[in-house]
Amino acid sequence: MRISKGALLVVIAVLIPFVVEFRTALSWFGIELSVLESLVLGGAAILAVVLWAVWPPNGNAEAELSGSR
Amino acid sequence: MEVTRMSSTASRTYLDQFPAEAKVIKAAFWSSFMALAIGGLLGLVQALHRTDVLRFIDSADYYTVLTAHGILLAITFTIFFLVGIFTWAVTTSLDRGVVDIRFTWAWYIMMVVGTILVGVSILGGVVDAIPMYADVLFTFYAPLQAHPAFYVGLVLFVVGSWLAGADWFRTWWAWRKENPDERIPLPTFMALTTTLFWYLCTLGVALSILVFLLPWSLGIVDSVNPLLTRTLFWYFGHAVVYFWLMPAYMMWYIMLPKLSGGKLFSDPLARVVFVLFLLLSTPVGIHHQYLDPGIAEGYKFIAMTNTMFLLLPSLLTAFTVVASMEHGARQRGGTGYLGWLKALPWRDPVFTGMALAGLMFAAAGFSGMINAGMNINYLVHNSWWVVGHFHLTVGTAVALTFMAAAYWFIPQVTGKELWSRQLALGQVLVWFVGMTFMSNAMHRAGLFGMPRRTAEPQYQGFNFDPAVGTVGEINAQVALGAVLLTVALAMFLLNMVLTSFNDDSDSLPANTYAGTLSGPEDSPAVLDNLKLWTAIAVVLVIVGYTLPLASIVESGGLFGPDIGGFQLAIETDPALVLESVREVMP
Ligand code: HEM
Ligand SMILES: [Cu+2]
Repeated sequence: MRISKGALLVVIAVLIPFVVEFRTALSWFGIELSVLESLVLGGAAILAVVLWAVWPPNGNAEAELSGSR
Repeated sequence: MEVTRMSSTASRTYLDQFPAEAKVIKAAFWSSFMALAIGGLLGLVQALHRTDVLRFIDSADYYTVLTAHGILLAITFTIFFLVGIFTWAVTTSLDRGVVDIRFTWAWYIMMVVGTILVGVSILGGVVDAIPMYADVLFTFYAPLQAHPAFYVGLVLFVVGSWLAGADWFRTWWAWRKENPDERIPLPTFMALTTTLFWYLCTLGVALSILVFLLPWSLGIVDSVNPLLTRTLFWYFGHAVVYFWLMPAYMMWYIMLPKLSGGKLFSDPLARVVFVLFLLLSTPVGIHHQYLDPGIAEGYKFIAMTNTMFLLLPSLLTAFTVVASMEHGARQRGGTGYLGWLKALPWRDPVFTGMALAGLMFAAAGFSGMINAGMNINYLVHNSWWVVGHFHLTVGTAVALTFMAAAYWFIPQVTGKELWSRQLALGQVLVWFVGMTFMSNAMHRAGLFGMPRRTAEPQYQGFNFDPAVGTVGEINAQVALGAVLLTVALAMFLLNMVLTSFNDDSDSLPANTYAGTLSGPEDSPAVLDNLKLWTAIAVVLVIVGYTLPLASIVESGGLFGPDIGGFQLAIETDPALVLESVREVMP
C-alpha cells in the first residue's frame, strides 16, 4: 500500500464532490452526462485511486508485500 | 493535592485535573448530543417530505418540524457544545478551575430550563394536549407569533449563556491576579473575545424579545413593527454564526496542529483573527436583508462592505491552519510539494473530521461570497441555495468539527476510551459524503429558484428548469444525502453511548493543546487590550445600525405601522398577516 487504508478512504470520500461537481462543470462545455454516466465515471475514478494505492510503488510486488503489514 | 496537580499535569486527562468542571462539561455535551439526535432526525423527515420520497407528516405540520430542526440544531446543539468547549479552554489554558462551581452549574441549569420551555412550546404545535405553539422558525421575528413560554425560554437560555461568559471572565480575572504580568493564553483569549461579541449581539435580540415580541405575545401591546423585529433579529443573527464558528476555529487553531504532529504557525495571527471577528461580527447583519423593502440601499451597501472585510480573518485562518498542518506533517517526515499531505494522521477521526470540516468550509466560503454580494444575492435569496450554503457552514464546518472534537473530548471528560475509532473515522467520512450530495443538490435547486422553507416546493402548473439534470434527480440526490447524514448521526451517537459504557481507562492521552512556533511575545501587547477592541466594536455597531434603525422606526413606528407620514416600505398590518398565517398553520 502506498497510503494507509484510512487515507485511502479519505481520498475516495474527497473524490466524490469532484465527481458530483464535474457533471455540472462539463455541462458548461455542452457535455451533458446522465446520472448513470457520472456513476460509471466516478466508479472508474475510484477504481483508479484504489489501484494506485495498492500497487507497489517500485513494481516489485513481493518485496513490497512482505514489507507491509 | 494542589501540589501533585501542578507537578503532574502533563500526563493527566482533563477529568484528573478538573473533576468538578469535567462533570458540567459532560452534561453540556450530552445536552448538545440530545438536541443533535432529535434535530437531525427531523432534518431527515423534512428532506424526505419536501422531495416527496416519503411523507409521514401532514404538510400543515411542516413548520413545527422545521422550527424544531432549526432551533435544536442551530441554537441548542451548537451553543451547549460550545459552552462546554469554552469552559474546557479557559480552565485548561489558565490551569485553574472556575471560581465557583455552583455558579457554573447554575448557568448550565438555566440553559436547560430555557431549552425545555422552548422545546415544549414548539412541541405544542403538533401535540394537542400542550396548549402552546411556536411555529415561528428559528428566526422567530414578527409577524409570526409564538406562545410567551417560547420567548421566556429563549431569554433564559441566552441569559444562561451570558452567565457562562461571566464565569469565564471571573476565572480569567482570578488568574490575572495570580499572574499579573502574563499574556492571556490563546484559548482563553479566543473564548473571551467571542464572549464579548456575543454580549454585544445578543443585546439586540434581548431587546427585540423583551420590548416587542414577549409583550405582544402576552397581549400587553397589540402591534409590533415587523421590519424592526427582523432587523433586530439579524443584528444578532449574523454574529450568532460566528458564535458557532469561533469554537470550531479554536479547535482548528489549537487541536489540528497538535494532531498533525506540529505547532500552531502563529499565535499573534490567531489573536488578530479573533479581534477582527469581535470588531466585525455584528455590524453586518443587514446583509441578510438585502431584499427587505424599508431599508435603504446605502445601508445595505455598508453592510456588504463590512461583510467582505470579514472574509479576511477567514482567509487568514485558512492560511495559518494549513501552514500549521504542513509544519506538523513535515515534522512527521512528510516531504514534497503536496507529498506532505500523505504524512498527516488520516486514520485519526478527530483529525480527519476537523480537516474535512475545514475543507467544506472553504466551499461554503465561495457560496457565502455569492450570498454576500448585494446584486447576486437577489438570485439566490430565500432559495434552497441558502440552505445548501449553511449546511456547509453550521451544518458541517461547525457540526462535523464538534462531532470530531467529541471523539477527543468525551474520553477527556469521562476518563473512558472511545468505543471505536474505526466507526468514528467511518462516521466523519459518511457525513462528508452525505453533505456533498445534499448540499450540492440544494445549491443547484436554489439556482433554478426552488424556494426554501416550504413543504410543497413544486407549484402547480409550473415546472422548474434545472440547468443540468432534472428536478427528480436533484430530489433523489437530496434524499440520498439526507439518509447518509442520518446514518452518520446514528454512528456518532452509538459511539458516544457505547463509550460512556466503557470501563475507565488509564491509557488516555494527556489534556494538552498545540504549542506555537511564534508565541504571544511576538505580538504587540495591545492585542490583549480587550477594552479597546470592545469599544471599537461598539462604535462600529453604532455607525452601522443607528441610521437604519432610526429610519425603520421613523417609517414604520416603534410598535407598528399605524402612523402617518411618508412610508418607504410596503407595509402590512401584522394582525392581518397573523390571521392568514394562522389559517395556513392551525
Ligand atoms: C441529518 C442531517 C440533516 C438533514 C437531513 C437536514 C435537512 C434539512 C433540510 C431538508 C432543510 C430545509 C427545509 C426547508 O427549506 O424547507 C433544513 C433546514 C435547516 N437546517 Fe438542516 N439538516 C441536517 C443537519 C443540520 C445541522 C447539523 C444543522 C446545524 C447545526 C442544521 C441546521 C438547519 C437550519 C438552521 C435550517 C433552516 C431552518 C429554517 O429555514 O428555518 N441542519 N435541514
Ligand atoms: Cu450573515
